[in-house]
Amino acid sequence: MKPRLSRRSALVGGGAALTAGLAACAPPNPGEVNAAPTIPPADGKVRLTYWAWLKDLQNVCDVFNQSQDRIQVDAVWIPGGNTGGYAKILSAIAAGGGPDIAQVELRQVPEFALAGALVDLTRYGFAEQEPKFDPGAMSQAKVGDSYWAVPQDTGPVATFYNREVLEDELGLEAPATWDEFYETAGIVSEAGKSLISLDPSDGSHPIAWVMQAGANWFRPEGDGWIVDMVGDASMQVAEYWDRIFAEKLVGVGYGSFTTPWYAAAAEGNVLASISGSWSDALVKTVPGGEGKWAVAPMPTWPDGYASGGHGGSAAAVASNSQHPVEALEFLTWMCTDPAGIDAMIEHSGIGWSPAADYIGEPRQQPDEFFSGQNYNEEVIVPMAEGQNLEWTWAPLMQRVQAIIGDGMTGAVTGDVPLADMFAEAQTEIVDIMRTIGLNAEEAR
Amino acid sequence: MTTTDTTKNAPAARRRAASTDSRAGSRDAGRKPTTTIIVTALLAIIALYFLVPVYWVVINATKSTEDLFGTSGFWFGESFQLFENLGAVLSANGGIFPRWGVNSLLYAGVGSVVATYFATAAGYALAKYRFPGRRFVYVLVLGGVLVPGTAVALPLFFLFSSIGITNTYWSVLIPSLVSPFGLFLASIYASAAVPDEMLEAGRIDGVGELGLFHRLALPQLVPALVTILLFQFVAIWNNYMLPLVMLADERLYPITLGLDNWRAQTDRLPEFYQLTTGGALLSVIPLAILILVLQRFWRGGLTEGSVKG
Amino acid sequence: MRSKTAPWVLLAPFLVLFIGTMIIPIIMAIGYSFTRVERSGLLGEAGTESTFAGLSNYIAALTNVNFIESIGRMILFGVVQVTVMIVAATVLALLLESAAAKWPGFFRATYFLPYGIPGVIATILWSFLYVPGLSPIVDVLQVVGINIDFLGPNMVLWSIANIVTWTYTGYNMLIIIAQLKSIPGELYEAAKIDGASSFRVAMAIQLPLIRPALMLTIIFSIIGTLQLFAEPRLLQTMSAGITSEYTPNMSAYAFAFQYNDVGMAAAQAVIIAVAAFTLSAIALGISSWTEKRR
Repeated sequence: MKPRLSRRSALVGGGAALTAGLAACAPPNPGEVNAAPTIPPADGKVRLTYWAWLKDLQNVCDVFNQSQDRIQVDAVWIPGGNTGGYAKILSAIAAGGGPDIAQVELRQVPEFALAGALVDLTRYGFAEQEPKFDPGAMSQAKVGDSYWAVPQDTGPVATFYNREVLEDELGLEAPATWDEFYETAGIVSEAGKSLISLDPSDGSHPIAWVMQAGANWFRPEGDGWIVDMVGDASMQVAEYWDRIFAEKLVGVGYGSFTTPWYAAAAEGNVLASISGSWSDALVKTVPGGEGKWAVAPMPTWPDGYASGGHGGSAAAVASNSQHPVEALEFLTWMCTDPAGIDAMIEHSGIGWSPAADYIGEPRQQPDEFFSGQNYNEEVIVPMAEGQNLEWTWAPLMQRVQAIIGDGMTGAVTGDVPLADMFAEAQTEIVDIMRTIGLNAEEAR
Repeated sequence: MTTTDTTKNAPAARRRAASTDSRAGSRDAGRKPTTTIIVTALLAIIALYFLVPVYWVVINATKSTEDLFGTSGFWFGESFQLFENLGAVLSANGGIFPRWGVNSLLYAGVGSVVATYFATAAGYALAKYRFPGRRFVYVLVLGGVLVPGTAVALPLFFLFSSIGITNTYWSVLIPSLVSPFGLFLASIYASAAVPDEMLEAGRIDGVGELGLFHRLALPQLVPALVTILLFQFVAIWNNYMLPLVMLADERLYPITLGLDNWRAQTDRLPEFYQLTTGGALLSVIPLAILILVLQRFWRGGLTEGSVKG
Repeated sequence: MRSKTAPWVLLAPFLVLFIGTMIIPIIMAIGYSFTRVERSGLLGEAGTESTFAGLSNYIAALTNVNFIESIGRMILFGVVQVTVMIVAATVLALLLESAAAKWPGFFRATYFLPYGIPGVIATILWSFLYVPGLSPIVDVLQVVGINIDFLGPNMVLWSIANIVTWTYTGYNMLIIIAQLKSIPGELYEAAKIDGASSFRVAMAIQLPLIRPALMLTIIFSIIGTLQLFAEPRLLQTMSAGITSEYTPNMSAYAFAFQYNDVGMAAAQAVIIAVAAFTLSAIALGISSWTEKRR
């Protein structure tokens, strides 16, 4: 009698547990916050948390906290996006918690929006703030008609080069066009050095290249996406770099700002990095580089734009935030008010300013490291102004970047040239977009 | 399982193990000294391999960031700032490192003790009672041993997030309380080391069933307990994926995740090299001592564990 | 009467936790693996719904080149690394037990030491020994004229294998030593009377008798190989050769938390679990088969 009862109760218990398990079987789908009514401003004081991997961000928040007594922002350091930060943000939001504000790289913003992790800022009137921002920054936080984040810094591409070796020793100049880059890279490589060294698995470079050339890989159209990676601009870039790789004109063993890169740069064996404006701070840590380096514009095509975008972050309002209005107020201050910009530059060493017409107080003087050049005003400003404003990031940039990185690794070894890889990647990316439930088409 | 015959011999095997030392001594007598030198030299070279990373961290925890890159990694740099470095490790970020250490101890300590108790109770029940469903439970748990823990981590996260306990101590602690491997060890050991007659005698004396387990069986199971405890402690201490998936708040991190967090920052901020190196030193030293001290117990316990197949 | 409920009382805490943290998640994973998400609007902002996906996630996973490559990589890794490690552990165990060396206790402890160092910390330490510019090993090799990039795309798998081997060889060695110690001394005496060399003793007596222990270590190592996650994930930021989908586990993790494709992540997790289960079951089967034939 008793044993049967206990067996049955065990079965019942097990069955209940099983049912509970099955009930939870729908994959999690964090809040449909953008369908719910907007949250009105709070009456009393508000405390916001802000997850980011920028260093000393609390100092920036403190400037804001002291400027008024209604909103208090607490910064929490998290690991950099792909080194664990994103998984952390997304899993926390999926778990129903997480911060009010999260740092998200510009290119990742749509992917976060797709995960249901972000508040559509257009619903809180963010579009009206547009004139306060640099258009090159703002365009990267926008998908269709919606703004999904506040741009926090950007990375207009420029050429950072070892002037002493390139000009004084080899008698060359920083290449102004891609044709000149080809020539220069050839001469440098004959001298037993590398003009630049790329990590072929890093897909961010080819994307910056095609962006500059005028391609628009991901075009929102109505309710769906047009993926176009084989247009003229893209093909021009692909064929050009296929030639560079085939003739082994640049280093492909390691990327900029890796430990071996620093070692080679310090010895004058790698002469340049063509990368986002934030590279300045990293180049400054090249041992013994003081006064020897300089900055030049990104090499250009006959048509296309002056520069591309490489890196840069946004601050997004997370979908579980109870105070989107206050979060937006703080972010608008931080990213457009001169006090906010200067604080971010001073404490957090951000990339290029996202504000319209204000690059930051510390960036208006000549710099001793870069040969006394006033490089920010002379070089980076035109790079920031010459961006491809049509470019939209797709909601799967991690995978796109991985695909392009894998593809470039193959191109470097001569397996599949970039020109063919782009076409294959286009098909693959459309496939993936459909798999994650989106409406997508290949161009033409 | 094939080893039922060997398991019955467990106590006998132990008796034999005790006599092996004298046996080794007698064999040693007839050996040529050159062989001894060659073998010892070979083992010493291999020992170097196992010690190099530990040696590196001891040396390099004393250096400044500049020396770390500028001087040979195999010898001290120009500056000796071990204590400054360790001070920086302990005070960084408002003393987060000691907190990670305490968290690790909490997860591994509480987790392994409770897991050992639960696994032993269950293993003992499977070994000493005949009841319907016993075989089913066995097979179910065997499946659990063979499925990789990391494959379960993701669905476990979704389960925990649906009941709202992700990013809490519980989210790491609860899964650590289960040791299917421990259950097997305990049940195999219990069937050999806890005689039925003893339990019967206890029953006649009026000891309750739970009392039988706690007062009569548990003392007999101590060697198995030690093995399960150590095994589970190391498994939790080493775990990376589970806390990585579950925890968002740095203050809940175990030491592994925390150090990884610091290391991730070396890319942008070279000063984190020193913190990571110092932190690694601080976490390696106590473990090394623990391992050296506990090695004896470990061996004793595993003698039993390994026979079980 | 009481002894009928007693086993369930003793089992209950374990079983509740076991079901809650292993069985239910596995059932959930199976459930997810048959669903997919449909999104309306550019980013799904106009609504999402879960639909039954049939086997499409499994088909997609098994035709995903990266995932298949990651499995192939782990098989290659497992075959080489587990073999090297088990052979090394066996040789070390035999040498230490041969009593031919001085200070066997010291060596045993030294070899076992890495087991107490978590994979994460072991990887951090070794990564510092791999990075050019920081690593004295790379420096020394360069002086001798050898240029090895431990983190290069082709090399890094073996650099990971080295970390795993470093961590677990001593542990496996201890298991084997424990087994060797249980060999009756009379067998050695008999061999000595026959005039057998140490090598003969190892091959004819010791190796066959420690086969169960070898089987155990191999099974645990296979499961360990399929779990590979922490080491490659940590080295990912340092090595161009490691992608987000480098191992099956990393792939499942990436799909869940980076690619917004939980269904695919679940399908991959299920495939990993089934593969580990099958491999271990086969290993157990082979072991019991050979035991019976003996």
